Amino acid sequence: MSVIEVNGLTKMYGRTKGIENVSFSVEEGEIFGFIGPNGAGKSTTIRTLLSLIYPTSGSASIFGKDCMKHAPEIKKEIGYLPSEVFYYDNMKVIDLLNYSASFYKKDCSHRIQELADRMDLDLKKKIDDLSFGNKKKVGIVQGLLHSPKLIILDEPTSGLDPLMQQTFFELLKEENQKGATILFSSHILSEVQRLCDRVAIIKEGSLIKVEKISTLKENNYKKFKIETKTKIDPNVFSKAGIKELKTEGNVISFLFKGNLNPILKEIASLDVNNLWIEEPDLEEIFMHFYQRES
Amino acid sequence: MNMFWHEMKANQRSSLLWTLTLMVLISVFFSMFPTFSKEVDSLRKALEGFPDALLRSLNFDVNNFSSILGFYAYVFAYISLCGAIQASSLGIGILSKETREKTADFLLTKPVTRQQVITAKLCAAFSSILLTNIGFIVAATTMAHIVKNNPLNETIFFMISISLFFIQLIFLAVGALAATIISKIKSVLPYSLAIVFLFFIISMFASSTGDDKLRYLTPFQYFDALSIIKQEGYDLTFVLLSIVVIACSLTASYVLYLKKDIHAV
Repeated sequence: MSVIEVNGLTKMYGRTKGIENVSFSVEEGEIFGFIGPNGAGKSTTIRTLLSLIYPTSGSASIFGKDCMKHAPEIKKEIGYLPSEVFYYDNMKVIDLLNYSASFYKKDCSHRIQELADRMDLDLKKKIDDLSFGNKKKVGIVQGLLHSPKLIILDEPTSGLDPLMQQTFFELLKEENQKGATILFSSHILSEVQRLCDRVAIIKEGSLIKVEKISTLKENNYKKFKIETKTKIDPNVFSKAGIKELKTEGNVISFLFKGNLNPILKEIASLDVNNLWIEEPDLEEIFMHFYQRES
Repeated sequence: MNMFWHEMKANQRSSLLWTLTLMVLISVFFSMFPTFSKEVDSLRKALEGFPDALLRSLNFDVNNFSSILGFYAYVFAYISLCGAIQASSLGIGILSKETREKTADFLLTKPVTRQQVITAKLCAAFSSILLTNIGFIVAATTMAHIVKNNPLNETIFFMISISLFFIQLIFLAVGALAATIISKIKSVLPYSLAIVFLFFIISMFASSTGDDKLRYLTPFQYFDALSIIKQEGYDLTFVLLSIVVIACSLTASYVLYLKKDIHAV
């Protein structure tokens, strides 16, 4: 069963386009990544799903129910974490979380304690006195305390240190194993790769592609940059799978896709001064994978 | 109910402060009454030099000062000014809170309809104002009984006192409407003061010119205390007008609040 079903969703802000004709679906139990650069329409899509904004045309449904008409009912089973969290400053963390819990007709006190312990969050502090990262933790607890069936995360990792990110991802994986579906929006490819099963790529308000992470990984280019002691003939690297070959003095750079071993042997035979092999960042993925297609 | 209590708690301190302010204010005013009523003649002489228009715009008729109701009618303008600031601040504040504190993403992703949210908020504001008025009426009545020189017409006194509640309801509704129309409210007080003083100035203008048409434009004139004393009751036209203003403002607030897009911060 599809947990999220988006059909031809369009949102115009006056004359400027927010998103246009976005369609995709998220299956039950899936961790679905939603990736694109800033301003691509990720938040617009998510906010429409949460009926925070209303679509110009198209429709969206969650748990088989229309997002606009049945919003309160749907939201009982949704946990949401925005990229920037803001709460009532003069409340204590525990009061805020209890207030949040009071919207769901179940006892969440045990879960609040458990999550706070995991996230190392001091419940007695005032929201106002918390650092950005700690406010984020409040957001995480707040989003998960009612054990929602669908977790919607809009660029959730900003402000979390790597250790907390780790814990947070573990929590998400546990929730997922318990049956929760997760929609995870991000502009950082690595975190989507780490967590998600499938990913939708959005650019300038339109959905470019929905793909399995495994497929995306197969297609993944590596960025090579080699600095040699002496100038060499770039034709050494004119092999299949090599693209964007560039030479600047003693530095050769190119993108490579395929079996790494032959190319490494080739490099080994050179008098190498320095070597960089990097994952292309999202920007480059867009450039090299999708420019032709769009 | 959780949202209602949350809002009540959030407004607790400011409501208490406003209530105490109004109670102290009316007590101070009434404590001056004995002096005023004794000195009416010398006061009259002192004021002879003042321009007529000024005295009229301040609703200043010395003869009123000899009776406690007349005195009450005069000071009540300032009570209702304070009350109006409280009510419009409350209306603007309570509905713009999610924008100001950027908590819309928290509250509006909870399993409640926006209708429930705005209803809870308005009920909380209504209750705060009700409590303020109870405090005020207790203080006003007690003080009036202490300082009165003649028997007090309780009915008229109560009718004037409770008109604070009606004026506040109008300003609450107007404030709520303002909060839903103006999309980016960062701070409440400038807006609420602007609204209140706009109407207060119109009201002073209406008093000084005696222009009856202007009276329709400002809630401060809908329950004019001197007319209440004169007619021994409210002016039905203005009562109806109040109801219409409140109903329209609230309806528009609901419609706008339900329809607006909540953008990311």
